[in-house]
Amino acid sequence: MQDRDPLQPLSTATVAALAGLAGLPPLDAPTLARIAEGAARAAAAVRASAAGSLFDVEPASFLAELERLAEPPA
Amino acid sequence: MNDAPDTLVSAAAALAAGRVSSIELTRDCLERVARLNGTLNCFLRVEEEAALAAAAAADAARAAGRRLGPLHGVPIALKDMFYDPARETGSGSQVRAGFHGMRVATVSARLAAAGAVNLGALNMTEFALGPTGHNVHHGACRNPWNPDYIAGGSSSGAGAAVAARLAYGTLGSDTGGSIRGPAAVNGVLGLKPTYGRVSRAGAMPLSWSCDHIGPLARTAADLARLLGVIAGQDPADPTASRRPVPDYEAALDTGVVGLRIGIPGNFYFDGVDADVQRRLDAALATLAAAGAVLVPVEVPDPKSLGELSRAIVYPEAAAAHAHWLRSRPGDYSPQVHARLASGVAIPAPLYLEALQLRPRLLAGFVDSVYARCDVLATPTLALRVPTLAATDVGGGEAMWAVIAALVRCVAPFNYLGVPALSVPVGPDANGLPVGLQLVGRPFAEALLLRVAAAYQRDSDWHEHAPPVAAF
Repeated sequence: MQDRDPLQPLSTATVAALAGLAGLPPLDAPTLARIAEGAARAAAAVRASAAGSLFDVEPASFLAELERLAEPPA
Repeated sequence: MNDAPDTLVSAAAALAAGRVSSIELTRDCLERVARLNGTLNCFLRVEEEAALAAAAAADAARAAGRRLGPLHGVPIALKDMFYDPARETGSGSQVRAGFHGMRVATVSARLAAAGAVNLGALNMTEFALGPTGHNVHHGACRNPWNPDYIAGGSSSGAGAAVAARLAYGTLGSDTGGSIRGPAAVNGVLGLKPTYGRVSRAGAMPLSWSCDHIGPLARTAADLARLLGVIAGQDPADPTASRRPVPDYEAALDTGVVGLRIGIPGNFYFDGVDADVQRRLDAALATLAAAGAVLVPVEVPDPKSLGELSRAIVYPEAAAAHAHWLRSRPGDYSPQVHARLASGVAIPAPLYLEALQLRPRLLAGFVDSVYARCDVLATPTLALRVPTLAATDVGGGEAMWAVIAALVRCVAPFNYLGVPALSVPVGPDANGLPVGLQLVGRPFAEALLLRVAAAYQRDSDWHEHAPPVAAF
């Protein structure tokens, strides 16, 4: 199976379906296209940044990591 | 008052010495608001009666020999997003018009306990979602350097009010640059502290993972005073750090001799406006002359960081607004509705993956960048301040390009959670301000303030008031 082009947007029909699933009123065509492109860019960024498994990482460790990396108190 | 103190710290000192009363300062600010708000639209609600009562109480306490705190009697103002049962908090929206929060926001309570006098609620982008300062419901906030230009967003009123001398300091929020952008375009300082440094309890949420609250003011010392008051752990906010709060004012005057300032060779200066570049170069030269060492650095993943931020902010915002998006879509402006709707197209696993990546990318960023420098310097905005017309909702694709450019250099640091400060460094060719962004490792706010103070000590740009302030 071929990989999907990471920058290929979702179809606007897919975005419209997702918006409908979330209960949103219909969105106009330019908005659907812009949302599709934005989502594709975000997805590509996540894929490009995820070099390795995140199986043992949890988001709640973010504050602890900030504190660990802090400069020593003056 | 012709001889009103020009900065928050000098106002506090004048009050402490009895050279001026809080009533006098508060009346002076209120008179300026009355004169200028029709032009600038900074304030959504002026709380004159409450402000004068607080000022009178501050003066009475001083007369009785009781000091309230480091902001005793100083007039300030807050973005329209900090809850208080006694005050309307509309979040710049129609959806929350007339809303009264169930509790006082921790930052508001801390400012009040320090003796500050709250002048009222400041204009903002609807629900803090947008970098230009347009607001369909309340009208755009305008730039005091030239009202045809944007005041930035989302803390538009917070930036413009400080610049126009309507308040000595303000509080804003920053989810993708919403403190630093308005600070830059209005020619004042703005600080997005480290994630967890300042409690968000009682503040309107936009994105739980990327929201930050911080101060805007005219000098580094003013910012230091405000941050010292609002920072610190808070049982009401589980994401607030327990790390001790340093004395941010103590190290302000220790200079920058030997300090390494990193200049990114990638991304942040790409495509920067030549006029903006010239101002930034001059500011960096000023810091170098003061003893700082400018070093080139390569910054990891800068473009991805902005997109990763998007992968978190939009789903969280869409979730926070889901009920109203379904039940009251017509109460949102079309632009904000469209931006909130963006969240539905980010799949949940992608959102969670972006969150899970954060600690790892943060560590990589800190290890890589701060091995080579102490502070990173970038443009706050790589473009000249745009006009209101160029960024209006009818602007089409060009408008969206400008909006993307406005957040390009600032949003990455919301994702990483590291502190970032914008300091004004002079006007562009149109007479609008240019901002230099200083970025530190986690909890390095004192260092950023020290660099900004060193710059302000050797320059006088911050002493210039915008033309409208003379009205």
